Amino acid sequence: MKSILNSGLRRPQMMALLLLGSICVQGCSEPVDESGVRGVTDDTIIIGSWAPLTGPAALWGAVGRGAEAYFEMINEEGGIHGRQIEFILRDDAYQPSRTVAVVREMVERDRVFAFVGGVGTAPGRAVVDYIMDKEVIWVSPATGATHWAYPPRKYLFAQYTPYFDEAAVLVDYVVNELGKTKVGVIYQNDDFGESGLVGAQVALEKHGLSVVEAVSVEVPDTDLNSHAVRLRESGAEAVLMWLTPRHATIIVGAVGRLGYEPQWLASSVLADTELMYDLTEGAWEGVIFAAIGELANSGHPLIQEYKEASARIAPEERASEFFLSGFRYAEPLVEGLRRAGRDLTTESLVEALESLDGFQGIGAPLTYGPDRRQGTRATFLARTINGEEAERLTDWLDSGVDIEQVIQRLEGSE
Amino acid sequence: MLLQVLASGLSAGSIYALMALALVITYKTTEVPNFAQGDMAMVSAFIAYMFLTDFQTGFIVAFGAALVFAFLLGVGFEGLVLRRMRNPTHLNLIIMTLGFTLALFGLAGWKWGADQRRFPFPVSASEVVRLGGVSVSTLSVATILIAAVLMVVVFAFFRFTKLGIAMQATQQDPIAARINGVPTRAVVGLTFGISSVIGSVAALLTAPLITLDPTLMWDALLKGFAAAVLGGLNTPVGAVLGGYLLGVIENLFGAYVSVEFKSVVAFLIIVIVLWFRPSGLFGRHHERKV
Repeated sequence: MKSILNSGLRRPQMMALLLLGSICVQGCSEPVDESGVRGVTDDTIIIGSWAPLTGPAALWGAVGRGAEAYFEMINEEGGIHGRQIEFILRDDAYQPSRTVAVVREMVERDRVFAFVGGVGTAPGRAVVDYIMDKEVIWVSPATGATHWAYPPRKYLFAQYTPYFDEAAVLVDYVVNELGKTKVGVIYQNDDFGESGLVGAQVALEKHGLSVVEAVSVEVPDTDLNSHAVRLRESGAEAVLMWLTPRHATIIVGAVGRLGYEPQWLASSVLADTELMYDLTEGAWEGVIFAAIGELANSGHPLIQEYKEASARIAPEERASEFFLSGFRYAEPLVEGLRRAGRDLTTESLVEALESLDGFQGIGAPLTYGPDRRQGTRATFLARTINGEEAERLTDWLDSGVDIEQVIQRLEGSE
Repeated sequence: MLLQVLASGLSAGSIYALMALALVITYKTTEVPNFAQGDMAMVSAFIAYMFLTDFQTGFIVAFGAALVFAFLLGVGFEGLVLRRMRNPTHLNLIIMTLGFTLALFGLAGWKWGADQRRFPFPVSASEVVRLGGVSVSTLSVATILIAAVLMVVVFAFFRFTKLGIAMQATQQDPIAARINGVPTRAVVGLTFGISSVIGSVAALLTAPLITLDPTLMWDALLKGFAAAVLGGLNTPVGAVLGGYLLGVIENLFGAYVSVEFKSVVAFLIIVIVLWFRPSGLFGRHHERKV
């Protein structure tokens, strides 16, 4: 810029130059890709993602960094059909307006071939229409909302088991296996929390029961003592919590001080057992939680492989549930890229992903099809034991809840 | 159950009262609410955490270091940031405190990350004492006692020491104070230092209860501000009473009426109070005489 300003160009010439420049911003922004496919060259495939690497939700940044480690591992093994994966991870700080900006940049400037992961319901909703308009494939939004696969969209392949399915499976378990009939719910007052509440309601109705007490928590709340008192007064024998780790820690402490001991049921968001034990000073013992991926402390061979890879590639990271979930979100994409073969196009990848039938990595078996864009609705249950571990209680389970009914209720409450 | 709810309210109210007091003593000198109060306290809590976990020191050293840091941060913020502005209006100063809070929040996120951490503390949030049918954690007892003692010390300092009286004089009329030989600049800096220390005590008591991360003091700052407005922004005693009142009302409302509107009720009450008493419940009304 400086050289132009100092080069003695007169004003009309400058104007002409600027004009040319602005035309180019409009017209030259669609460079022709080497292979004719956006984001694919002879030896690379560009994949994009976003996560809150800074800001209040930065805890979930580990999801994006996990995917990064997974692609690094794939590259070390020689890539896919002679191509290395170039992974672009952008920080949106969990602010939808910034998600829009970084996603546009990745599509238009970086020219990504596909997106993978992408943390958060609100950030994802802000960009889903744009990504679909641009016909970019998006695999595994990292959120259990119902906005992705219902109705199905051609370029969107969802993996995360809907939150309400987890809630329904948990409630079924305490009613059928533990014989408890009084179930309370404490939930975050937003999309995420409401799906937990609705899942519990629907599951209880099947048994002719209803939620005995439902208390909501606002995100900035830190004093949950009156929530604890209300749950105790309701006589709930089991309490489902659809909360973030901080609120879970506070409510478990507050309830414990009252000498009230319900069976806690927790969402997959609280599946980081090591973290939860530490935060609650051991009060996390005996919690039953829903899991949507093999546990970090399990002997599953892929988990072992991923942990070894991350110790080598990203030694500063703790191989937590969140970090490993990044691997899980990227697995079906890599499988799809393998099946699509060397002649990779958006269409060939869509076809390859639709051919997944019971494909399993460290998550539930995934099946897609021409009209099926939710890969799985299964979850399994685990219980925390021995002050540090989690034991698996069940195999992969499906709640069998009618999804249309749930979506109607969720939309009704919005 | 009523006593249980009152005890919870008192414990939450202690934190609000500390934050309200911290806000009010700087507000009285600058007439500007310091929105960086919460994050200054949060960073001090992280300093204590760093000493406890990285340097493996004891509690006394770690908390001492945090309080010294808090004092210097307060003095530094006033002397190096606020005072450097040329002819600042109130709005400039408010924006400055907002900017400083963003900077501190970013710094904490960069240095310590956003993960929730357990904050080690001499007494526990899960250890329970039973007092006549009420179960209170040892942490709550400590919070209530430490807050009360600290506030008594602060009030005694203002009332009975030469420095404290000089501070009051500066708050009331800086020019008259300077004419009478009070080094007002140093006094204003000192006010910020003390305020920052009070805030960081609140942070050190909050962190073991709700876990440590950069958002530690968001709720406390908001509620502390609300408490100060409720009690009266220009009366330290009123602000403290406002803090306790807010904690108790919130808990009563949450337990007996509605948990959903627990946080909202505080602000509703404030609107109603301000309607009838613009200077807060305990504040004296400033009337300008022509």
